[in-house]
Amino acid sequence: MDLDTAKLAVDYILSTPDLFTEEEVGWAFIGGEPLLEIDLIDQICDYIKIEMFRLNHRWFNSYLISISTNGINYSDKKVQNFIEKNKKHLSIGITIDGTEKKHDLNRVYKFTEKGSYKDVVKNIPLWQEQFPDSSTKVTVSSDDIPYIKESVIHIFELGINSIYINVVFENVWKDGDDIIFEQQLTDLADYIIDNNLYYTKTCSFFDEKIGKPLNNDHNNNWCGSGRMLSIDAAGNFYPCTRFAQYSLRDKETWIIGNVKDGIDKNKLRPFLTLDRTTQSPEECIKCEVASGCAWCQGENFDAAETHTVFQRATAICKMHKARVRANNYYWNKLYRKLELEDLREQYEANKREVKPEIC
Amino acid sequence: MLQYLVILLDDTSVAYCHADNPLKERNLMPIETLKKGILFGMKQNLMIQYVFPNYALPEEYASVIESIDNVKIYPVGCKPVTGIESENEADVEVANSIPEKVETKNLVLRLTFCEMLIQKDEIAKLFANGRRVNLCITDVEKFTDEQIDAYRQVLDEWSKALLELYKQGQSPQFNLLTDRMMLEKMHNCEAGISNITLAPNGKFYLCPAFYYDERMQVFNQMNHHKPSSDTSVGDLEKGLDIHNLQLLQLDHAPLCRKCDAYHCRRCVWLNRKMTWDINTPSRQQCVMAHLERNASRCLLNDIRNIGEFMPNIEIKEINYLDPFEVRKEF
Repeated sequence: MDLDTAKLAVDYILSTPDLFTEEEVGWAFIGGEPLLEIDLIDQICDYIKIEMFRLNHRWFNSYLISISTNGINYSDKKVQNFIEKNKKHLSIGITIDGTEKKHDLNRVYKFTEKGSYKDVVKNIPLWQEQFPDSSTKVTVSSDDIPYIKESVIHIFELGINSIYINVVFENVWKDGDDIIFEQQLTDLADYIIDNNLYYTKTCSFFDEKIGKPLNNDHNNNWCGSGRMLSIDAAGNFYPCTRFAQYSLRDKETWIIGNVKDGIDKNKLRPFLTLDRTTQSPEECIKCEVASGCAWCQGENFDAAETHTVFQRATAICKMHKARVRANNYYWNKLYRKLELEDLREQYEANKREVKPEIC
Repeated sequence: MLQYLVILLDDTSVAYCHADNPLKERNLMPIETLKKGILFGMKQNLMIQYVFPNYALPEEYASVIESIDNVKIYPVGCKPVTGIESENEADVEVANSIPEKVETKNLVLRLTFCEMLIQKDEIAKLFANGRRVNLCITDVEKFTDEQIDAYRQVLDEWSKALLELYKQGQSPQFNLLTDRMMLEKMHNCEAGISNITLAPNGKFYLCPAFYYDERMQVFNQMNHHKPSSDTSVGDLEKGLDIHNLQLLQLDHAPLCRKCDAYHCRRCVWLNRKMTWDINTPSRQQCVMAHLERNASRCLLNDIRNIGEFMPNIEIKEINYLDPFEVRKEF
């Protein structure tokens, strides 16, 4: 993206209050690897701040800049200058896949094919010093399942206390994946409980609220697409990045506008009227363990039989059910232990909340 | 439940709804296809609605066409000759301008919004004589909020004309204003639900507009993962195959299922074209339908000042034109 395109996007967003009605705003930069373009991000952020000030915009002091990075360049001087300059309104997330072996399976340098684990991990202490409550996000696909337990433990050992982790929504799951997944989570539950990590660590796979039936009053859409404007390098607008062509397998892109023409509000209407029951098949509506079962609107669209965002993809069904079984095991085991130690009340009064994994 | 089978006898069969027919070359449905279509309709217990082009069909088609009870939709002034001269009260004439003469009890008048405004007085003159007038705006997608007042005003003028006819003891029928007064629940186009269209190529489509799109290679993905202009939903050999059929139903249309603009066409083709999702109406469709709804409410109240009229119908006063604006409460 060039700076002029970014400026046009900022101008449009700041001058269209009827579409952007929230009291606060998040300006998120994702890549590729965004820290490679820290100069551009810095210029864009300066422009955002100047314009918010010039317009006396309500977001002037109610904004957050967030960056999701692979962490390799985190300690670079330019990046550190940017952090220092914006630290009151900045959130940076570093993605670590798990152990060195697991991380370097997928994350290698382009030409040398050398794994990046060591270059990332050396920056973790600085990151944690600057963002003490930082968490990391992990996405699990079929090949990752055998490494879940060791990866989560490893991330905990790096000093990261919160891990937001989910399985991919795409239909990648093989026969038996759910069994291995359940075993991995059960083993992880044992480790967390046996080592008393539950006071200080959270792994979002374990959440008391999941695995319950939902009645029709629980009708919100899971996904935030349509409520978070995404902009590509050319200045096209999307309901979320999953609707950009590079993210779609089978469908044509769903562009809702661009920086010059603005948003075609009609193209947003389906997203802003989505609810759980309309897009879910009967099997999901009647599901006994429905709560916490997530979906991605982009994957729903990509996998749908017709051109719609109203057909829920259910490829993760067996994985969700496996997670629920392991989750039930976790909480039953944990509470029994706490009851026997007469610590349940104390734990419940102080327990760390797991935020839902809504993108 | 399917009730009607619309048979496009030719590629140039008259367009009778929102979508213009862009096909200019004649392509008559093969008579064997027609026979199979009629057989399909008979076995599915469907009422056949033939859509005619503006030219006379070959003689051998007449007996086939009349082999089953039917309704004919044809261009004004081009009454089909099929050997059965008795008038079917359900037959429909279609005009793209104010017609000089209308033979049937049902007229579909297709105009752009601007044409409608310019010819509003001529349109009002069509309300009399017990004829049903269906006015169909052919450029809904171009309607803007700046035209709301103009539409409100013309609806008001037509309401006054209709009220005069009621005062004279007539019962005029004009889709935009009198239908809502008679309805206690949604009564929409229901393409794919209550009716399905058979095209000259022997394939089924939700409505003729989807066939036009396919022929014009307008991008669509009715049944396919890969980009394709194929919009068909089955054929005479394999039968109907409507994917995501539930999305055509009212209970799967979040904006529509609680709406009380009961007369709205809920055009799924316009939905697909303008919002890209078949169950979601555009602002244009919603606002126009609500202007009509509100005008119907006023007309209903005015008629009741003359005497008792549709006592079971209540049209509430509302403060929005687009349900999307109040969707959280909706």
